[in-house]
Amino acid sequence: MIKQYIRFRSSLIPGLLISSFLLSLAFAIFFTLFGATDPNEPLFLILSQRVLTLLKFTVFQATLSTIFSIIIGIILAWSLAHQPRFFARSLLIALFSSSLVLPTIIVVFGLITILGRNGWLNHLSLYLFHSSFEGFLYGLSGILIAHVYLNASYATRTLLHNFESIPKERYKLAKSLGFSVFKRFLLIEWPAIKQSVLSVSSIIFLLCFTSFAIVLILGGNPSYNTLEVAIYEAVKLDFDISLALELAFVQLSISLVLVFFSSSLKTNISNLKTQSLLIPWKEPFFISLLQVFSIFAFGLFFILPLLAIVIDGIGADFIKIVESTVFVKSFFTSIVIASVSCVITVVFTIFLSNAKRNFALKSRIPQSKIGKVLEFFISFSGTLYLAIPSLVLGLGFFLLSQKFEAPFLFWAISALLSANVLMSLPFSMSILYPAMLKTATKYDKLCFSLDIKGFRRWIYCEWPYLKESIGYIVALSFCLSLGDLGIISLFGNQDFSTLPWYLYGLMGSYQNSDASGVALILLSLTLSVFLFVPKIFAKGNFAKS
Amino acid sequence: MLKVNSIVYKYKDENQENRYDFTLEANRGEIVGIIGASGNGKSTLLDLISGFLTPISGDITNDDKNISNLMPEKRPITILFQNYNLFEHLSVEKNILLGIENINRKNDAEKIDEILKEVGLEEYKKKIASSLSGGQQQRVALARALLRNKPILLLDEPFTGLDFQTRTTMLKLVKKITKTKQICTIMVTHDSSDCDKIADKVYEVKNGKLTLL
Repeated sequence: MIKQYIRFRSSLIPGLLISSFLLSLAFAIFFTLFGATDPNEPLFLILSQRVLTLLKFTVFQATLSTIFSIIIGIILAWSLAHQPRFFARSLLIALFSSSLVLPTIIVVFGLITILGRNGWLNHLSLYLFHSSFEGFLYGLSGILIAHVYLNASYATRTLLHNFESIPKERYKLAKSLGFSVFKRFLLIEWPAIKQSVLSVSSIIFLLCFTSFAIVLILGGNPSYNTLEVAIYEAVKLDFDISLALELAFVQLSISLVLVFFSSSLKTNISNLKTQSLLIPWKEPFFISLLQVFSIFAFGLFFILPLLAIVIDGIGADFIKIVESTVFVKSFFTSIVIASVSCVITVVFTIFLSNAKRNFALKSRIPQSKIGKVLEFFISFSGTLYLAIPSLVLGLGFFLLSQKFEAPFLFWAISALLSANVLMSLPFSMSILYPAMLKTATKYDKLCFSLDIKGFRRWIYCEWPYLKESIGYIVALSFCLSLGDLGIISLFGNQDFSTLPWYLYGLMGSYQNSDASGVALILLSLTLSVFLFVPKIFAKGNFAKS
Repeated sequence: MLKVNSIVYKYKDENQENRYDFTLEANRGEIVGIIGASGNGKSTLLDLISGFLTPISGDITNDDKNISNLMPEKRPITILFQNYNLFEHLSVEKNILLGIENINRKNDAEKIDEILKEVGLEEYKKKIASSLSGGQQQRVALARALLRNKPILLLDEPFTGLDFQTRTTMLKLVKKITKTKQICTIMVTHDSSDCDKIADKVYEVKNGKLTLL
């Protein structure tokens, strides 16, 4: 056994060191928060009425968002799977895939442009019916709409992959046995997707539970606040650190419990490729109509806000925007922070996945208790973000900055980089780890027998098979970092700003024309990176992973 | 001479504990066929000989030298698997070169030409592996195995899925190589007719043990 650990030390040690570093960071944050509490006020014994109300609303909106997102996700994935020739299907799927990385502030901005008081829909309603929708976008409905926008498309993309993985023979069997569409769904399709429905639901619940930007902008008033937003307000607006701590502990405890018990939590991210399910017979007419309607309706709901950003943005005064020093600073800060976060994420993901696969392959390290513990630590360190929401992490860094003397910029950049890397890791691990495991399963024996190891192995055996996935991770982590409006809300100021924070400032001061222009720049940058970077990595690839 | 002396290997699957106890001998210039039903442990035997699995007791010797404690890459063995013998994004030449320890460009280029001629692929040197047919890919893998010049050749059903003509050609090639290079070849197959064609002796794997037929 020890011999095997020594044999694979070069792949085990870096991964275990990174895992230890991430767990130490989490413990440091935890102890900083704990150390800052008043020992005379036991946190967990009595939760104030306000905290309980916040907790109730946070859980309520997360539950509703999850239910709506999953139902829409299932209907849409099912429709797309059975309509392989739908016009612009590939474009829709690519856009749905990008929903995960779309900056939330962009989504909110687009939704306001369409559904807000001065939005397109309201103008249309006034023109046609002489009546107006009064601010229905602010409050619970707005939060739900934005959450469904982002998460239903994520669920669709993931579940579509499951639908398309069902062997064609199953459909032939259903046809030959004369199954109705409902029976086919119940007996063939549901068993194939139910596992993913569970894990996607838990991911969506966690994302909505810790949602920040959407609730901050669309929440409207304190009765629609979640724990994350309340932490932000306690730190930035009320300067009530003890309330922020109480909220952070509640948030941290619940997230930790959720992540800990979701042992089968998989983020189920796949790349942009889809495999159309081509069945040589047509769906019944009304079913086909329902499927086309679902795709069209949600497609419109998804595309309109993006289109609104483009149309509104084109009219902006870009010369004025780029002449603004704050914009230039924010732009370059965003690019630098996103690039550094992306490099760290890729390196961490490769080393963590490389270490983790040693425990999954019997031919590398035989199963043992210690192996299981190490594997758990590696997996857990990769999903820390889900357990430690960014605002809690930010609060930890905020307290550290008050405790230890260092330039403000040092703490701000450290907090941002840590949050960005931790945020990208669960997704990047779920992309790269299966690919690395597959490569090892296929080529381990050949590499060992030909003594191909170290750098040679990486060049000939790993990189050609992984570069497509790595390209996807680069794009994903860059975009996630670029669009984040979590930690920057605690550390952002006139001198230190990112594009989303700058855009939030413009929206808050009703500089709508400039905001439209900045939103368009942020959207174009995100979509270009997300859609084209993976293609650059995949170019000329003969290796099939 | 390769000797497998009572190597014992155990593993547990969902339903039961499986125990293997293998003993066999193979001389230089000899082809030993291993047959048996699926799941009886044919591939496990090759994994044990090549060092991918570690037995709980017993030893393996080659010319009286114990090789049981050597890592797979250090054993005097070359293997042809059923799948994934080549990196499909690399050329035929590069795939063959990967198996050679000390690369000498001029000498190796000549050797590669020679070996490709031997397996009938002299015109395919610069081709990308993924553009070759299944049979051609296996021939490239065999060419590499030969160039590695190891005294033991293990074949883990490498000709499964090939058409009759290609399969027969490959079997003949293996026989020719084994005899001319005086290597010791162990061939696992589920098709006993392969053994009828080229094997000098045949073992059957049954209930975790080898029986000489």
